[in-house]
Amino acid sequence: MNTSRTQSVIFWTIVTLSILTLSAPTLVVLGASFTSGNIIDFPPDGFSLKWYGEILGEQDLREAFGRSLIVACICVLVSLPTGTLAGIALAKYRVRAGSAIQTYLLLPFTIPLIGSGIGLMLFFGQAGVLGNLWPIGIATAVINLPFMIWAVSSSAASLDPDLELAALSCGAGPVQTFFNVTLPAVTPGVITGSLLMFILSLNEFLVSLLLVDARIVTLPVQIYNSIRSIITPDLAAVSVVFIAVATIAIIALDKLVGLEIFLKSK
Amino acid sequence: MTKSAVSAKNVEMQFGPFKAVKDASFELEEGRFLTILGPSGSGKTTLLRMIAGFLTPTKGEIFINGQAVGAVAPNKRSIGMVFQKLALFPHMTAAENVAFPLKMRRFDARTIPDRVSQYLRLVRLDGLENRRINELSGGQQQRVAIARALVFEPDLLLLDEPLAALDRKLREEMQLEFRRIQKELGVTTINVTHDQREALVVSDQIIVMDEGEIQQDASPSVMYRIPQNPFVANFIGVTNAFEGKLTKVSKADATAIFGDSSLVGVLRNGPVEPQEGQKARGAVRAEQIRISATKSELNGLDAQFGGTVADVIFEGERILYEVKVPELGEVPIRIFHHDQNDFATHELGESVHIGWKSRDLHIFVAQ
Repeated sequence: MNTSRTQSVIFWTIVTLSILTLSAPTLVVLGASFTSGNIIDFPPDGFSLKWYGEILGEQDLREAFGRSLIVACICVLVSLPTGTLAGIALAKYRVRAGSAIQTYLLLPFTIPLIGSGIGLMLFFGQAGVLGNLWPIGIATAVINLPFMIWAVSSSAASLDPDLELAALSCGAGPVQTFFNVTLPAVTPGVITGSLLMFILSLNEFLVSLLLVDARIVTLPVQIYNSIRSIITPDLAAVSVVFIAVATIAIIALDKLVGLEIFLKSK
Repeated sequence: MTKSAVSAKNVEMQFGPFKAVKDASFELEEGRFLTILGPSGSGKTTLLRMIAGFLTPTKGEIFINGQAVGAVAPNKRSIGMVFQKLALFPHMTAAENVAFPLKMRRFDARTIPDRVSQYLRLVRLDGLENRRINELSGGQQQRVAIARALVFEPDLLLLDEPLAALDRKLREEMQLEFRRIQKELGVTTINVTHDQREALVVSDQIIVMDEGEIQQDASPSVMYRIPQNPFVANFIGVTNAFEGKLTKVSKADATAIFGDSSLVGVLRNGPVEPQEGQKARGAVRAEQIRISATKSELNGLDAQFGGTVADVIFEGERILYEVKVPELGEVPIRIFHHDQNDFATHELGESVHIGWKSRDLHIFVAQ
């Protein structure tokens, strides 16, 4: 009795400490955003929503947030077809040199972001397209594509391989089979992957930093630029909005397809 | 005259160096129920998948309604199929699953709902149209799969061991259900299974396969009574097998020495011309041997031996005895005892007499 009680105390202490450590940055930012003072501080100096009011009025931040949303949408548009097809192909068909292709597709993930960022900067620079938003969207899609592929292929791998044969024997041609049977069956994975890509692209800092110029900064870069001059609590408020968007996406994910598939994706 | 609905001519399927199906030929008449029976790895599923069009034979040709189908894609063949794991579309309801082949095969959209409910009635699923697949029981899912395979009135129905995963009671119920629906619609059917009981119950014709080769092609009763080789004799029913040597060959019967005994049996011709002195195998079914405590009860049986009971297994409708007979070698002889009125059983270690008629001993020439 006594030992099990001691064990339980130790267990819960560890759990509580872990949760606190994991959520500390969020809690600090959240607290700091509600300060009524004029400098960023934790614990906050009083409570007010004035910094939230403030960021609504800051055109720079609003525009940067809008640009980040555009970048995230482009990223999803690019990664949705490529990641879905690649994920299904890798999971379902014995593609020639499949494992080599898999490694190749996961490569962007293993290269330090600064390396791929410089590579992409040189590439888009040569092509003379820097200064647009769409190269940033494509860049975040390239870097994060493995997540999309993971999500889709974990969904596709659990499919019964006879499902497509069954569609054939029902008289469906290969294209009809794909749209009527294969795609609906991997939809949970596609939704998971897309939301994940959206969040990752929205949050992407380092690669954006290398690809933007002063006219088209995205939100994370805008925040970074601001920190270098004066640190005001409006940055904390922006960060909270940021976190809120990501949280909403996660909740949507859980409601739509459940989080198990995301946690399962190896 | 009945015409041939499906036939195969010298069909072979090779995967790399491995031949899954070797030189298979058979013919199936319209409206009949064929079962391809064999252990796992015998090539039976490969043969079925070639008929479905999922695999293309490396040699030979398959004909459906007299037409060679080698170049016809599976979705252009008029074949309904029930898969081993059913392969129902999980994102559709029962009715949507059944409607799917009609949509794909461009049936008149106005007739589809009526047809779907007609076939759901046929498989006794009326009222469950709008259930999702995961809301149906195993047996109900089977019925959806059957309806989906039959709704477009295919020329041919293929069953790829769909009953293998069911528990025994449900499996036996579904076997009879397959039989009922097949008779009602008269659709030519090819079923694949490793369950010899199922094959005997549902089929008009059975093909036994082993190691990629067709071992025998016959009706259930012929398959059971006149096995053509030791594999078939052993695979169907419970059979006692002996190894020995051929001593005398006449027109219909043969004499062979098994253990210390010289026994007369029916010669089942293999491809080899039998000669005296050749190795031979004997087979006699467990239910064709009689067992008794007294020798006088076995009057009229051609082969008689004395032995001791080594095991008694009560199986409900029958008792399985294992009897050691020194004259026939080390392996105990298995005997089914079916006497309904006589509850007397033989005890372990009891001395008994066993015997059978010569016509029930099959003698095969070893190849």
